[in-house]
Amino acid sequence: MPKIKKKGQAGAAKNYITRTQAVKKLQLSLPDFRKLCIWKGIYPREPRNKKKVSKSVTASTTFYYTKDIQYLLHEPLLQKFRDQKVLEKKISRALGRGDVSDAARFERHAARPEATGKPRYTLNHVIRERYPTFNDALRDLDDCLSMLFLFANLPSTSAVPAKMIARCERLCLEFQHYLIVSHSLRKSFLSIKGIYYQANIQGEDILWLVPYKFNQRIVGDVDFRIMGTFVEFYMTLLGFVNYRLYSSIGLKYPPKFDQLKDENGAELGAFSLEGVNMATQGETQAVANGEEQQVDPKVQAEVDKIIKQLKEDESKSDETAEEDAEADDEEKPTDSIDKFEPVAPGGDVLPQPAYSGTDPSQLFANFTFYLSRETPRQPLEFILRAFGCKRIGWDSVLGEGAFTNDESDPSITHHVIDRPVVQAATSEEGDGEDNQTAQKVGPNQRYPGRIYVQPQWVWDCVNDEELKSPELYAPGAALPPHLSPFVKAAPGQYDPTLPLEAQQTEAEAIEADLEDAKEGAEEGSDIENDMDVDEAEDDEEEEEEDDAEADAEEDEEGDVEEDEEESKTLQRQLELEAELQGKKVQNKKVDPKTKSKLEHRKALEKKAKEEAEDLERAKGMLSKKKRKLFEQMQYTNNKKSAQDEKLRAKRRKLEKEKAQKA
Amino acid sequence: MGPKAMEKKRKVQDPEPESDDEIAPDFDGALSQSEDEFDSDFDDDKEHEQDGEEESGSEASDDEDDEGSLLSDDIPSDAEGDKAMGKLVLEDEEEELRIEIPGVDPKRPEKDDGEKNYRVEKDANGNERYVYDEIDPVYDSDDSDAQEAPNTIGDIPMSFYDSYPHIGYDINGKKIMRPATKDALDALLDSIEVPKGWTGLTDIHTGNPLNLNDEELELVRRVQMGMIPNDLEDPYPETVEYFTGIEEKMPLSAAPEPKRRFLPSKNEAKKIMKLVRAIREGRILPYKPPEEREKEEEEVEQYFDIWQDEVPTEVNPLHIPAPKLPPPGFDMSYNPPAEYLPTKEEREEWEKLDPEEREKEYLPHKYDSLRKVPGYGEIVKERFERCMDLYLAPRVRKNRLNIDPNSLLPKLPSPSELKPFPTVAQTVFRGHDGRVRSVAIDPTGVAVASGGDDGTVRVWELLTGRQVWSVKLSSEEAVNTVRWRPSKDSFILSAAVGEDVYLMVPTHASVTPALDQASRDVLSAGFGYATNGQTHGAAPGKEPPAKWARPGAKLEDEGVLIRITVRSTVKVINWHRKGDHFATVSPSGQRSSVAIHTLSKHLTQIPFRKLSGLAQTASFHPLRPLFFVATQRTIRCYDLQKLELVKVVQPGAKWISSFDIHPGGDNLIVGSYDKRLLWHDLDLSIRPYKTMRFHSEAVRQVKYHKGGLPLFADASDDGTLQIFHGKVPNDQLENPTIVPVKVLKGHKVVNKLGVLDVDWHPREPWCVSAGADGTIRLWM
Repeated sequence: MPKIKKKGQAGAAKNYITRTQAVKKLQLSLPDFRKLCIWKGIYPREPRNKKKVSKSVTASTTFYYTKDIQYLLHEPLLQKFRDQKVLEKKISRALGRGDVSDAARFERHAARPEATGKPRYTLNHVIRERYPTFNDALRDLDDCLSMLFLFANLPSTSAVPAKMIARCERLCLEFQHYLIVSHSLRKSFLSIKGIYYQANIQGEDILWLVPYKFNQRIVGDVDFRIMGTFVEFYMTLLGFVNYRLYSSIGLKYPPKFDQLKDENGAELGAFSLEGVNMATQGETQAVANGEEQQVDPKVQAEVDKIIKQLKEDESKSDETAEEDAEADDEEKPTDSIDKFEPVAPGGDVLPQPAYSGTDPSQLFANFTFYLSRETPRQPLEFILRAFGCKRIGWDSVLGEGAFTNDESDPSITHHVIDRPVVQAATSEEGDGEDNQTAQKVGPNQRYPGRIYVQPQWVWDCVNDEELKSPELYAPGAALPPHLSPFVKAAPGQYDPTLPLEAQQTEAEAIEADLEDAKEGAEEGSDIENDMDVDEAEDDEEEEEEDDAEADAEEDEEGDVEEDEEESKTLQRQLELEAELQGKKVQNKKVDPKTKSKLEHRKALEKKAKEEAEDLERAKGMLSKKKRKLFEQMQYTNNKKSAQDEKLRAKRRKLEKEKAQKA
Repeated sequence: MGPKAMEKKRKVQDPEPESDDEIAPDFDGALSQSEDEFDSDFDDDKEHEQDGEEESGSEASDDEDDEGSLLSDDIPSDAEGDKAMGKLVLEDEEEELRIEIPGVDPKRPEKDDGEKNYRVEKDANGNERYVYDEIDPVYDSDDSDAQEAPNTIGDIPMSFYDSYPHIGYDINGKKIMRPATKDALDALLDSIEVPKGWTGLTDIHTGNPLNLNDEELELVRRVQMGMIPNDLEDPYPETVEYFTGIEEKMPLSAAPEPKRRFLPSKNEAKKIMKLVRAIREGRILPYKPPEEREKEEEEVEQYFDIWQDEVPTEVNPLHIPAPKLPPPGFDMSYNPPAEYLPTKEEREEWEKLDPEEREKEYLPHKYDSLRKVPGYGEIVKERFERCMDLYLAPRVRKNRLNIDPNSLLPKLPSPSELKPFPTVAQTVFRGHDGRVRSVAIDPTGVAVASGGDDGTVRVWELLTGRQVWSVKLSSEEAVNTVRWRPSKDSFILSAAVGEDVYLMVPTHASVTPALDQASRDVLSAGFGYATNGQTHGAAPGKEPPAKWARPGAKLEDEGVLIRITVRSTVKVINWHRKGDHFATVSPSGQRSSVAIHTLSKHLTQIPFRKLSGLAQTASFHPLRPLFFVATQRTIRCYDLQKLELVKVVQPGAKWISSFDIHPGGDNLIVGSYDKRLLWHDLDLSIRPYKTMRFHSEAVRQVKYHKGGLPLFADASDDGTLQIFHGKVPNDQLENPTIVPVKVLKGHKVVNKLGVLDVDWHPREPWCVSAGADGTIRLWM
């Protein structure tokens, strides 16, 4: 007799473990278990058969792999959690006895880890375990960045300490600095939720969301303890990632952080990056200085002079830089297209491909931007710098760190502005007087020689990797739609950038044309109605006929299957139309174009019908399982195409309205 | 007690209360007492007196009272220097005189002058006599606690009384007159000199200025300060120190100070030594450096290159990385193309839905400028939900088939390649009254025989639809089935009506006399044998399974030549390919449900003594000596030579209606009342190879095309025929291909019955069908 197998001794029952069992096995509290799971990246699994897995009467909802939990048993953090628990118990016991001094002593000792105190832990080993290679870490950076950028923008509360926010902010800014230096930012998108950025680091695409700078509303049912656990892990992760990234481009990490500047709202400007070799140089220099104390004063003076000059050069306005750049251009023969600009007024401007062949990371390299007070400074500064802009000025309201706070700086080439155009009468007067000397300009006044754009220009330029025509983005102008750069054009999918004609189906096009024709006819009849008012009765009749016509059409749409009926209704419709037109307009016959269209439509419908029949036949031969699958796929595809069709219909309508207005 | 009596009584007593009433105001005016106190006292007095003496006031007395009170009230407010004053004083004097007689006012002597509380009178002897005032015990003073609201109008705005001289009514229904307002001078004086306890308020009950006395002011103050309102006892009395360090002059104990007060404590010394030792040994640090906690917390985390010696490890196949969030689409833009914006209806629909049920958590919105974009309220929540998903959502790897759904569809040959097959109704044969139950095309393919509910068997010309022959076999019972004898050398039709099976030769114009004669010979050949055989075969006393006989002269003239009567109603006739044997099935006839008849011998045999289940239909194998019997659930195959069961085919249908064997002999189609059509490959399995469920009602009849075309058809109660292309390959290894090609619609459904029978043309791709609507249709 074979050995009787007991239930729940092998197989799925052994492979899975419920959460309660896991917590019991690890001898932890549920919050500690949660922390451990979050940090170690252990997530529940869905067993194939829940009944076989769970022995309990009530349906358990969460199952883990037993192996995962066993793996947690050897986690060093587990011991820390237990120590913490013991300590807490000691303190609470002391407090229960009323022994405040004892409790205080325990707590005090907790500060000294060596004195069996508060368990201090780091998550370094967890990072290494979860991400054996750097690329693994990069792959998981999406959530990390979104979370840290969100926390950097949160108000500090008891659940979210200010220190945590400050650290998040710092890490984020450091990461942004890396992106600026390495030019790895690729795309950005202004959505209603916030600003999406996409960077490409070592071949990994990383997409994250940064909320707009507003005080975040915190809804009641958000548990910040869970979020905090994630943030703790992510902070450690981003720290190591930043270190690696900085060292990969030869920079020292952490960069020098100027507390004072940060307090003044310099944000990105509060950091100063140092090269690693620079640092070593400094060290060697220091050593050298130590060896020979007496430096030749002449040499020292010369060095000072050079340094001073360098500094001046750096801080100097862009005019010289631009000139230099231009001079450089002249020197080097390039294969890029030269820009043709009319020398004398009056000539036509021919369209040219804009700045093709340039490196997108140097898109804004030659420009000096000025950000108006109402524009979002942080994202603009980051994105401009990441695409090569060196000089960005802004209003002093927006914080420290600007290239210039003076709006009238002559070196400014682009002025980002987001104000409505005010219709002020005084602007006319002020305009004529003195542009050059006026320190403050009126609401509508512009500095000559400067390009004024709305912020969207920057984003659209970045996403299309070319400088867009600034006229479209002039202040007060109706902006062109801002499109997501992350949508990959799939065949058959609706694409708002393409014209409607290129993507609509044949049937749709014919339908639309017919509608147009019909509307045109109706308009014509309307006009005639206006002309001969005395035929009121006829008009009424006509209206009825119109209704009948509409009904007929609806019928036609309803049962396409009935071929005979369809042809009948079609005929009837044609008859009615002919009758109508014959009565009203004697000389006008059925438009041959519409007729052919109608026929075409009929043919199309017939074809569609036949196809449907074929499909039905083929479907009949599938097995049940496959048929289900097929129907599911068909369903989702139909849903998608229905959405696309809806979009196309909307667009058609909009375009028609536009045309009518025009 | 009548009202009159009351009035009388009142009239008698009236003057006195009046006078009493009017006394007090005089004093009130004359004496500068604290007004409120006095007023209340006076009011009490008045009330008590009135209570005691009269039940209800008459109008006359009321009026008088009014006047009096009005006048009297004037006095205190006007104070001095009024013309009315003198007059009033006169009146007062008169009253005083009057008063003196009945009683003495208790307060008067005190107020006027404390000492002279007596009068000097002369007694009867002429001596001086001191007559003292009577002392009023003031009994009613006890009641002063229960002070009733003097004004009884309740909680209504005083403005209601603005136009009246009074401001309300007291408990006795008397009017309370409005005190005269002060003139400008008085107001000025008041403003200059604020009287003690002045509040500036007016007592709404009396209309007098509401002043507060010291006690009341104190009360208000205490309430304001949040103290106990009455200061009966001090809640925080001074502590009485019983034991103090101050040396008392008179100590409690006279004992001298003990010695221990002057010696160091040994116990304490011990404790101190303990500490000293601990310090020496370093167990206790006498000086502890200040807390480094703050500093430590601020300690910057040390970062290093954690991936310095990274080794790419193999990915655990069980590990499922968290899926990334989908990138934002066009509709999430702050300035999307206009077609992505929701219409009003879409917006309403979105708002109506529960937040959980929404397809998208946001609604596209267009902002015409970046500065107008507000913060997104749900961002913290969405991030939190993502966190919860990362930590708590079970991850399952789902293989998404990223294929074109059309690639799943089998490659079917196009219908044009499968041609020919019947597509349209060519001829409709009308003539039957009621349902047509059965239809059959003769082996030559010229004529169609049919039988129906009207008990007639009709023969039609196939192509023209002309009826060429007809016979009425029964007036009550329906013709259940008609079948031709499958041989071209004869023209014999068999039909089953009730328990009888008729064999006939439907002679008509196209039948040559030779053929007719040959057919008649075939039928009559058995007669001689039958008589012989019966005498041999049947045991005496046992009823024969069937009776072969001539149907009678009338029918014989028509061409019906033989009648075979079996035990129960025959539903199915199936001929052997050679035309000598045919099987009949009568599902209701228990043991004798299946019978095999031999035409040449006029012999009927019952092959099964016992049959499991009700026999539905039976058929001969087209090539081999096998016999198939279908019961409700199974089809049994018997070897006729070895007389044994060969195979049991289990189509899995609940109730088999019909089946047909492929002319090749290896395949079988089964129709069932549970709407299924099943194809069996007999070599492959006893289970069906394909199950086709294209009918919405029961399948009545299934038929293969027997003339070499790979076609089969089924007839269903939903009024349709379905034509399939069913090609059986010559290669044994290949599976048959089955392709549905056509649905033939035309028959009407009558009483839930649609098409009852179908038969193929022996050569052409044509078929005929018999419908419950009384028509036969030829499809080609």
